[in-house]
Amino acid sequence: MNGTTGPILRAKGVIKRFGKFAAVQGVDLSVAPNTIHSVIGPNGAGKTTLFHTLTGTLAASAGTIEFDGIDVTRLADHQRVRKGIARSFQVTSLFPTLSVRENLRLAAQGTHRMRLSDSWLPPTGSRSCEEVVSGILERLDLVRTAEIPAGTLSHGQQRRLEVGMALAARPKAIFLDEPTSGMGVDDIDAMKSLIHGLRRDHTVVLIEHNMGIVMDISDTVTVMQLGQVLVEGPPEMIRNDERVRAAYLGNMITGGAA
Amino acid sequence: MHTLKENYQLVLAFATVLAMPLFMQSGLLAAEVLIFAMAVLGCNLLLGFTGLLSFGQGIFFGMGSYALGIMLVKLNMPLILVLPLTILVGVVSAVFVGWFSIRQRSVYFVLLTLAFAQMFYFLAYTMTDLTGGDNGLLGVPRPPLSVFGIELLPLESSWQFYSFVATCFLLVFWFLQRITTSVFGRTLLAIRDNEIRAGAVGYDVRGFKLAVFAISGGVTALAGGLLAMMAGIAPLSSIEYHTSEMILVMTIIGGTSNLFASLLGAGFYVLSADWLSSIWPRWLLLLGVLLMLISLYMQQGLWGVLEKLWHAVHRRRRREPAISATESEQQS
Repeated sequence: MNGTTGPILRAKGVIKRFGKFAAVQGVDLSVAPNTIHSVIGPNGAGKTTLFHTLTGTLAASAGTIEFDGIDVTRLADHQRVRKGIARSFQVTSLFPTLSVRENLRLAAQGTHRMRLSDSWLPPTGSRSCEEVVSGILERLDLVRTAEIPAGTLSHGQQRRLEVGMALAARPKAIFLDEPTSGMGVDDIDAMKSLIHGLRRDHTVVLIEHNMGIVMDISDTVTVMQLGQVLVEGPPEMIRNDERVRAAYLGNMITGGAA
Repeated sequence: MHTLKENYQLVLAFATVLAMPLFMQSGLLAAEVLIFAMAVLGCNLLLGFTGLLSFGQGIFFGMGSYALGIMLVKLNMPLILVLPLTILVGVVSAVFVGWFSIRQRSVYFVLLTLAFAQMFYFLAYTMTDLTGGDNGLLGVPRPPLSVFGIELLPLESSWQFYSFVATCFLLVFWFLQRITTSVFGRTLLAIRDNEIRAGAVGYDVRGFKLAVFAISGGVTALAGGLLAMMAGIAPLSSIEYHTSEMILVMTIIGGTSNLFASLLGAGFYVLSADWLSSIWPRWLLLLGVLLMLISLYMQQGLWGVLEKLWHAVHRRRRREPAISATESEQQS
């Protein structure tokens, strides 16, 4: 409804305090629809905390967050998912004793409109969200592991499922918090093309330490430092920015290996 | 075949209910097993299926005892009305306790349920007009179950009462089995596994917890009410912290992975208490040892032990070539 030209996400003056410490100190962020927008910065810059406040995992101490034309600042996480904001976690956060298929089914069901009287019935038929689930299983190359508990997957598979959990909500915007953390080289390439492919149907907001990925697939990069936005711009500009080089002590930003 | 596999727990429960009169002499003892099994089901729904360790189950149990006692003794209401109202009292008190307790997680949640248990105990202790205080509410009758004056089931003899309790128990069991396999119940498992993720994919975790608390409270209150009918008294001890503890212990002994385990846990506890207490008054010492063994070596409880045995036997049978081809599918 908001038109295609305006930003899908608009955060203004977002502050998150933990006691006296402000992890995020007044961040403005504007994300254009169907782009990949990366948030980078050294450890402790407040990236993950910013993510938490944008997706509703934590409530912001101050500021406003507007998504798709709706003020979501005061909404809880489960309410924001229904507005189209889904997320993955930096530390893998699955339902470990439940099967991979059940993990995705639950994630799809969470945003699936259902009559209250239907929740008394078993998750079969139209309630199984079968189409969404099998589509994601294929996309993530998890078909063969669909029936085993998520906790027994390899690390790379778990990271892929982590992204799948966000996808299952069929969100407008998908927030990925370090999707490649702890991954091997082969897995990283697969993840990179997966994220790149998301851009077609979703808006992607990405926290990532792997500069190869960030510089190759981002449309816009926001650099954070000490809870504030340092610079924002297209990848080429960020690569050559003196302040960014200083923040990263010069060596990490040139790209390629992380 | 498919439905049998899906409903094997209900089938096991039904078989146990039918078998108990064949092996037991006392109908009241058999009824007591089922009554506590019902309370344990309510606890299992919280602990096993939602991951909530509640020390407040005695509240709902005691509230059920008193509610049923007061309605029968002081208000002379018909039993057919009293039963649903007893459940309602459990639901309402559980929503009250849950409303505050589920705002916190882990240790603080447990502490809150414990604090409420103490509070309700002292409430019952001081409101002597209603509860009889220390003496308990005496003279709870066992009127026949009748609708519009037509007597459906007299409850005077102990086996008549047993069949009444057994019907209630099986209805509750069936209801909870439906709940745990439903969309709602599967979401509870997700909340048990990972609350933060459950919230992030769109579930109102607090709402779900409150709902499951209400169900648990209703079931537990019904159990408490039935015990008052059985004993002819709603004693102060039914709302004591000790009752909460006992229900929890039975839940853990039986195992928290499925519903039938609750019947195992309650049966084991009630029957060994009955048997051991007559030969050795300090039998609770043995129970302590058993709890240690379960905590250390068999966290799936008695059900887990049975499951392991069953798999061991099954594997041995599978090694025999004649059967292996046809039965390999059932192994999951």
